[in-house]
Amino acid sequence: MIELLRSVLDTVSGYAEIRYHKRVSTIIEARNASLAKAEQKTLAGAGVRCLVDGCWGFVSTSDVSEGGLRRALEDALQGATAAAEIKKERVTLAPAKMGVGEYVQYERGTEPSIAEKIDTVVQAEAKLRSRSELIVGSTVRYTHYDDEKYIVNTDGAAAHILDSKQSMHVYATAGSDGKLETGLESWGVTGSWQTLMEKGCLDDKIDSAARSAIEKLDAGYVPGGQYTVILDPQLVGVLSHEAIGHTVEADLVLSGSVVKGKIGQHVASDLVTMVDDGDAPGAAGMLMVDDEGVQGSRTVIIENGVLRNYLHNRESAAVLRGVPQGNARAFTYRDEPLIRMTNTFILPGKNDLNTMISEVEDGLFLFGLGHGGGQADASAEFMFSVAGARRIRNGCLSELIKGVTISGQAFEVLKSVDAVSGDFSFNMGAGHCGKWQPAKVDAGGPYVRCRVTVGGRHE
Amino acid sequence: MTSGSSGLDYCELAVERGLIRGASAVEAYFTESRNLETMIEKNDIHVPKGDTYSGIGLRVLVEAPGGAGFKQGFASTNLLSSSSVDSTLTAAMAIAAASPADPHLCLAQPEPSSAGGAGAVDGLYDEAIAGMGLGDALKHAAAFLDGALGYDRRITVDAASFRVQSSQVYIANSEGLRLGQRKTVAIAQAMVFAVDGDKVSSFDVGVAGSCALARVNSFEIGRELAKRVIASLDTRPTSSFRGKIILTPYAASEIVLAPIAYSVNAEMVQSGRSKWKGMLGRQVMSPLISVVDDPAIPEGVGSTLFDREGVIPEKLDLVRDGVLQDYMYNCRTARVDGRKSNGRASGSDSGLPGVEPTNMIIAPGEHSLEELIGACDRGLIVNRFSGSVDPASGDFSGSVKGGYYIENGKIMHAVTEVMIAGNIYELLSQVVGVSDELWVLANERLPHVMLDGCSITGR
Repeated sequence: MIELLRSVLDTVSGYAEIRYHKRVSTIIEARNASLAKAEQKTLAGAGVRCLVDGCWGFVSTSDVSEGGLRRALEDALQGATAAAEIKKERVTLAPAKMGVGEYVQYERGTEPSIAEKIDTVVQAEAKLRSRSELIVGSTVRYTHYDDEKYIVNTDGAAAHILDSKQSMHVYATAGSDGKLETGLESWGVTGSWQTLMEKGCLDDKIDSAARSAIEKLDAGYVPGGQYTVILDPQLVGVLSHEAIGHTVEADLVLSGSVVKGKIGQHVASDLVTMVDDGDAPGAAGMLMVDDEGVQGSRTVIIENGVLRNYLHNRESAAVLRGVPQGNARAFTYRDEPLIRMTNTFILPGKNDLNTMISEVEDGLFLFGLGHGGGQADASAEFMFSVAGARRIRNGCLSELIKGVTISGQAFEVLKSVDAVSGDFSFNMGAGHCGKWQPAKVDAGGPYVRCRVTVGGRHE
Repeated sequence: MTSGSSGLDYCELAVERGLIRGASAVEAYFTESRNLETMIEKNDIHVPKGDTYSGIGLRVLVEAPGGAGFKQGFASTNLLSSSSVDSTLTAAMAIAAASPADPHLCLAQPEPSSAGGAGAVDGLYDEAIAGMGLGDALKHAAAFLDGALGYDRRITVDAASFRVQSSQVYIANSEGLRLGQRKTVAIAQAMVFAVDGDKVSSFDVGVAGSCALARVNSFEIGRELAKRVIASLDTRPTSSFRGKIILTPYAASEIVLAPIAYSVNAEMVQSGRSKWKGMLGRQVMSPLISVVDDPAIPEGVGSTLFDREGVIPEKLDLVRDGVLQDYMYNCRTARVDGRKSNGRASGSDSGLPGVEPTNMIIAPGEHSLEELIGACDRGLIVNRFSGSVDPASGDFSGSVKGGYYIENGKIMHAVTEVMIAGNIYELLSQVVGVSDELWVLANERLPHVMLDGCSITGR
């Protein structure tokens, strides 16, 4: 395949790349005592991108014969030529270390048959349903992307990549007296089925989802306002990804995000160091070679509170004099590479979690991302829904709270950080990040204590 | 199969071979599409994209022993050949063999009215879209830029796209159903913000779509968005209170229509996740609200001759004067309730049928937006909502984007850092006004909706 792609590009005078991507997706979902979904999908083809007079053209096709690839290249060249008549700014590409050779991103093991996986999911849903009579809705969903890519470009990339990303969702709905509450546990990995099962014990996750939904039936609300909170690793991951990470994506920086021009400035507490690292083994955003063919490596975003780097593709790196480190990503062959995060996280600190809690007179211990997910602006104003919360009174964890959302300006929140625990975990690998196209990412960190605005109820 | 084979040929081949392999019933759904898209990023043309796609999804039902129903398998591929149809059938049969029996699985029966094709819906196919090239798509994107940037130099178009699709779908099943449809769609969507010194406005979004190119005016979308974000630059905080909110159609789409669509979805009703299980004929919200789903709106993005299973949908009264009238069904969920599908099977060639609306509409009220504002003693206009809505419980909480504070019937100022929270199912009983104009947001049509009793958290 590498030789075929090279031969098609031989005729091009400027920059061009071809990315062949075959994905076999498996989705199994059991819901309320029935198998709601068991599907296997094959999506394969090539994305062809070229640069003419500093303008991109991109064409995707499922015809990967030599003739099909040449037609796609010709169409892409024509699109780029037409764009060159309208586009104001011209694209140049920064140099980068290109991926060459074989990249296997996970420990390859023997995958169970689809029959065994279906049985596991169906049994898990039955267990969830049987946990309590209060469970009125139960869903267990498994997703697997089995990917093979060949990436060749005119700057020397010639990479063959094998990848496997798997995730599991356990979703419980509890009902009583007309009230419905949900409990969700989800986790994802880059790796095999075995890696997935080692990352999360299915029985424990079932217990946790059911318990969370049931306990929330009797939980109360908290008045809105400013609170001292302790964020768990999942919420720290969401903060790192949604509220900070997107603002340092260089395309958003160039659009005027809040961190434009702030490299070298203090943007967070000295206790905060945040990185994006595609080479974190097992994390769901793992990416050794990106979809421009660039080798991935760790990018230090914030170091001891100081903003150090943005996340780049080759185009933005040329404009901002940065270094492309593997953040150009495309979800399928039909998508063009965009600047995306991989695994984004805050490094652990030195504080003890119990001590952190004991030092809070009146606050909230927040855990898990809620049903509504998280969103943020280029101004770094964010809003996350929180799966669950406990009031902290006089240094002790107290009653359960539900319906909590938190918001604020992410960098102001990071400046308010006064304690970072020594714990660490990735906890955001089950879902997808959305930015015109999905991407598998991961995020996490330690427990972090800070100040945020909590949206609550006013009677 | 040859290169000249049509989608219907592939469907018929798959049905025939599936039956030979021992399936009790087979359904094949084929899509062929040509997609063009022009992206804008940071005020400039980004990447013109072209894509040609064809793929087939195969569903097999295998009779389970003892009259327990059928076992279902699904697989899809976009690698089209006689042998890939075979391998996809093999995968589908393997899944069916491993799946538990379901007594409610069935395929659609051909309807007498569909002999020789389904009924007519005006304006589904526009030659002006089908004949477009990448250069034409680029001109529409340029018009959007003119509309937005020509209004005010402080505008930044963070990202926008102009996308057209012309497609053909075919469905065949072993019950003798054979249907085909040609359709075109043009959709423009954008995310825009404004920067003035240290002031950064909220992100605001705009969406417009139609099957007819003439209905998507890129220049006007850009101009209207620009006006809105400039108006949200000079914002002030407000205090916390409990009061009225006027949701614009964008906010009403997320806070009002999405939970309604969720709660009338038979999958959610039957899985216990809908609050409206067993509520047919009951008052579930204010008499001021009526909701219909109409698959035959001329040129409507969601309009269609038949659904994902080949059932011909008709206009559906879902809520009339606040009384729940019906749920949305596909074939399986309809059989669970002992009735006939009402044609709301959703999905594509790459997945099993789900349940979704076609064109969902909240009926207009009798008052102008100005009259709604005039009737508001204290409240907020919520232009856009960035937050979470849990459609199961109805709890919502999040940030107001582009909001305005109202006092004594007058707009006082734009607001910042304001959150709203409440329970939509409770608030739907407290609708105090619905505007008399509908905005078309792709496949949704909504008025402004005024609700009372919302928790508003300011600084």
